[in-house]
Amino acid sequence: MTETTLDTPSHRWWNSRALSRFMRHRLAIIGTAMLLLLTLACFAGPHLLAYDELFIDLRARFSPPLTGDHYLGTDPMGRDITARLLVAGQTSLLVGFFAMILSTLIGTVIGVVAGYYGGRVNAALMRFVDAFLAFPSIFLLLALAAFINPSPVMITVIIAVTSWMEIARIVEAEVKSLRERDFVMAGRMLGLSNTHIMFRELLPNMVGPIIVAATLTVARAILLEAYISFLGYGIQPPLPSWGNMLNGAQQYLDSAPWLAIVPGITITIAVTSFNFIGDGLRDAFDVRSEPT
Amino acid sequence: MTSNRITRRGTMQMMGLAGAAGLFAPNLLVSRALAAAPDAPTGQIIVGFSQEPTVFNPLMPRIEVDDGVQLSLFDALFRISPEGEFIPALAAEVPTIENGGLSEDGLEWRVKLRDDVKWHDGEPFTAEDVKFTLELVVDPNFRSWRTTGHDLVRDLTVVSPTEITWRMEEPFAPYMAILVETMMVPKHILGPEEDRNNAPFNQAPVGTGAFKWGSRTAGDHLELVANPDYFGEGPYIERLIYKYIPDLTVLYTQFKSGDIDIAGSQYITPDNYEEAKTLPGKVVEVVPSPTVESLFLNMERPQFKEKAVREALYAALDKQAIIDALYYGLPTPTESYLPQQSFFYNPDLPQHEFNIERANQILDEAGWTRGAGGIREKDGVRLSFTNSTTSGNHLREQAQQFIQQTFAEIGVEMTISNKPPAVMWGDYWTNSEFDTVIVGIVFTTGADADVTVRFHSGAIPAQDGAGSNTGQYQNEEVDKLLEQGTSTFVPEERKEIYHQLQKIIRDDLPLLPMFQYATVRGHKEGIMGIVPNINTRIDTWHAAAYYWDN
Amino acid sequence: MARYLLKRLGQSIVLLIIVSMIGFFMLHLTPGGPLSQYALTPGMTQETIDRIAEQMGLNRPLPVQYLDWVWRLVQGDWGESYRDNQPVLSVIGRHLFATLLLMGSSTAISIGIGTWIGIRGATHRYSAFDYVATVGAMVALSIPTFWFGLVGIYIFSLELGWLPAGNMYEIGNGSFLDYLHHLIMPSVVLALVNIAIWSRYMRTATLDVINQDFVKTARAKGVSERRVLMKHVVGNALLPMITLAGMQLPNLLSGALVTETVFTWPGMGRLFLDSLGYNDYPVVMGLLMFSAILVLLGNLIADLISAAIDPRIRLS
Repeated sequence: MTETTLDTPSHRWWNSRALSRFMRHRLAIIGTAMLLLLTLACFAGPHLLAYDELFIDLRARFSPPLTGDHYLGTDPMGRDITARLLVAGQTSLLVGFFAMILSTLIGTVIGVVAGYYGGRVNAALMRFVDAFLAFPSIFLLLALAAFINPSPVMITVIIAVTSWMEIARIVEAEVKSLRERDFVMAGRMLGLSNTHIMFRELLPNMVGPIIVAATLTVARAILLEAYISFLGYGIQPPLPSWGNMLNGAQQYLDSAPWLAIVPGITITIAVTSFNFIGDGLRDAFDVRSEPT
Repeated sequence: MTSNRITRRGTMQMMGLAGAAGLFAPNLLVSRALAAAPDAPTGQIIVGFSQEPTVFNPLMPRIEVDDGVQLSLFDALFRISPEGEFIPALAAEVPTIENGGLSEDGLEWRVKLRDDVKWHDGEPFTAEDVKFTLELVVDPNFRSWRTTGHDLVRDLTVVSPTEITWRMEEPFAPYMAILVETMMVPKHILGPEEDRNNAPFNQAPVGTGAFKWGSRTAGDHLELVANPDYFGEGPYIERLIYKYIPDLTVLYTQFKSGDIDIAGSQYITPDNYEEAKTLPGKVVEVVPSPTVESLFLNMERPQFKEKAVREALYAALDKQAIIDALYYGLPTPTESYLPQQSFFYNPDLPQHEFNIERANQILDEAGWTRGAGGIREKDGVRLSFTNSTTSGNHLREQAQQFIQQTFAEIGVEMTISNKPPAVMWGDYWTNSEFDTVIVGIVFTTGADADVTVRFHSGAIPAQDGAGSNTGQYQNEEVDKLLEQGTSTFVPEERKEIYHQLQKIIRDDLPLLPMFQYATVRGHKEGIMGIVPNINTRIDTWHAAAYYWDN
Repeated sequence: MARYLLKRLGQSIVLLIIVSMIGFFMLHLTPGGPLSQYALTPGMTQETIDRIAEQMGLNRPLPVQYLDWVWRLVQGDWGESYRDNQPVLSVIGRHLFATLLLMGSSTAISIGIGTWIGIRGATHRYSAFDYVATVGAMVALSIPTFWFGLVGIYIFSLELGWLPAGNMYEIGNGSFLDYLHHLIMPSVVLALVNIAIWSRYMRTATLDVINQDFVKTARAKGVSERRVLMKHVVGNALLPMITLAGMQLPNLLSGALVTETVFTWPGMGRLFLDSLGYNDYPVVMGLLMFSAILVLLGNLIADLISAAIDPRIRLS
């Protein structure tokens, strides 16, 4: 499914060729810039605003954007949407980021082990991956969310649990193709432990594809959070997340369309940034992968 | 609302009236409509429901909208008027002591039936069907939704096709109200079935009601057709269609656009009331509902053991702001668990006052001091708890967040933990696993004021009790009053008892009463015969009387 | 071939067992249950709920319930919905039509538009069109579908009043045009992501072909570029397309779920959400198995067709 031109163990991801190729990728630079701005706004912005994201003012409910200090208006509780949007960004970005870390870890470990040992271990682990893939992801997400108290940490875990399979497959394929190479043989002959060979020798050669997949996983995780929170199974109020700000917005589409429009645009910007960066990384590492 | 007036004096007062109404058939209800009703059923009416009616055997567990459909297909022995009077339906008269229907102690029942009723398949309805129904509801193999009251019935005897008698094991005042909610099913169809839980009848019901089963497109709509042989008033329309619209916003949009004729359960959302009022060609009314919204406490939690805490929380509950801002001023603030229209309602309960200072003062005096994060604590107990409700109920979620803020001002931490319906109202609720819940409950059974299952200390499921006292409220005085209430038959005496009960509960605050719901109902101009009835769960309780006035 | 099929079948059955076990136990271990919806019925007591649970066999040990469910399933009995006592298969069947209609029209839209964008992008590589298409596809993949739907409703239903905001047809109408009218917005919304995916695929596939010798030769021979493209590109690109179409099958359930929710479309996604909300186990399990079977079937068909079209792929 995925091929790579990485040939020798010395080919490291931080080499200048990849970096310079990334820098020449215009979309990737735009994506990085957008993401940096957004992150900065989300983490520094709330301190500069006149309103707290939790401050309720029932007299000011449904103020349209640009009412007084409410730059983006207020929600049905009279809370400042700007403040909520930025704090929601912290939640959503952190959920996305940590879900990526966790799913990359799970996927990589399973993929490396399955690919390296082959045979029965491979068959068992890959059937496990297939089983997870055979589940409609939304089923897993919603069933787990109903099962567990949906705190941001649990939502992160749930998302990670449902999105590690692709990385596992990519890594497994990579390891299989690298397994019989000379440097692995050499490692075995030198008496290096399997763990050492797997994680010290093989893994560095797959950093490119893993980083690309991980970047796209962040994008996916942010979207997934939005989906489950929109359906009401995700992060619970009053803690804002981009998804739960949209929950209920449909009801007010006629009278207060900004409730839906503002968070939606923000999610799109954030996810687009990650997709742009992922695209740039893919070119930089010369990873050829098919969209799934 | 009234009680079951099966008593000597009460019977004389109330049944006299109901009996008289019975003589004129149930047209008391449709007198307003009678003048212009068409001779033959004409036209159709589409009622929009936001939940899907799926249960058509009226004896099986059901939700509101199932009720709405079943009431068009079936009849009980009696029905209850908006004023709370019992009116004969399948029965020829309401049993009273003077007409010999009831013994003086209320234990012996003799019910005379109409002789002109036919099932939708043409078979005559007889006392055998009543006997079959009352036996089926207590059949241990049948998924009956309620056995309360029925399990006291003994010696069911068919005297003649139009007369049946039985004896009650012990006096049980609410039984009349329960019979109103017990619709009769045909013995000739269900009787021979081996498995009545899965009988074809359950998906193609045959009743005695004003409408016959037409067809069902599951997940979409249900069509009933006029029963020309209906024994009562009506029906005046050819087809009655119940359309399932799974979203309240869409329900309203379709009402606005005229796609549905009546915006049925769960009606128009409060935020659309202002606009709905101004719609041309539509009649929109605010109708009180028996549902009382409260902040329900789990009394076994250490935080709520002390009355001062409950008082402080109640004082910090800004009901009026919630009602005015979030519910557009529609509901009525209340101090009782009973609807204000109830015969038993106690109007003299102390009035709630939103007062943060007082709330703080109460807690200070009770020795709850502010600790880490400004949260009050005492003897190692922090005033911190979760609050839950069904996720997706936006107005309630907003109310929650608002309450959260005012509670924070008195050093109380309330965390929101909402759950999908199946989780929320499963063990979490019934087995008292919650801290607090915001919930709208109809505390009573039909028109009766008996709340034994809600407040009796023997009705706590989490403590192996039989009932639904999920707040785990225990109060000996309350127990005593509840027991008196069900065995007292004189309405005025019962009223006394239930007034006292409401006073104690208001004082004790096992739940913080917020408001009694009002629903915004709408229908097209020109539909006549729509009469709200707070004693029933749903607006379509008497669709037989609907007709188009064109 | 037969051996291959048998092997695949065996693997699929193992997978189905794993999926059904995980699904079944996860569902049943979720707090709450199908009777919760009656908990607030006036006069409902815990004993009544317990008695009914007992009658319905919900109190038996989970492994027993699971084996019972499996045993019935093997005999072709998918059980009955707890909500409306209809056989699960007929419940699913009813919603399947709505979902197939939506997925079908949206797939048609996305293949049509995606193919056009992809081929044009490849033949006009690095043109403004190609660039816009590339960026557009990436943005399209980043838009939450449900939000796109909300914006669509806001613009086309509420502001312009051109299209209905939801449902599959008007009550009492239900003509072909009426269905079409209701179908436009949800299928376009749902197609958005797929247009992006298809167009990227098509572009890559076309580029692969364009750069191959035989195309260059054909062009050199003076065969019109258009004809070469139509013949070879479409021929060669068909393979990944079919694979992708196979991979789309499982989306029947999850892909349309949010779109169906936004547009109150009476399809399988909504059914799933409603059934999950009420712990209607038989229906949820039915949907799960149905969709898992589709996934496996989709994969198998994609592999088989690939093999049939491309002799280089050997089934092993």
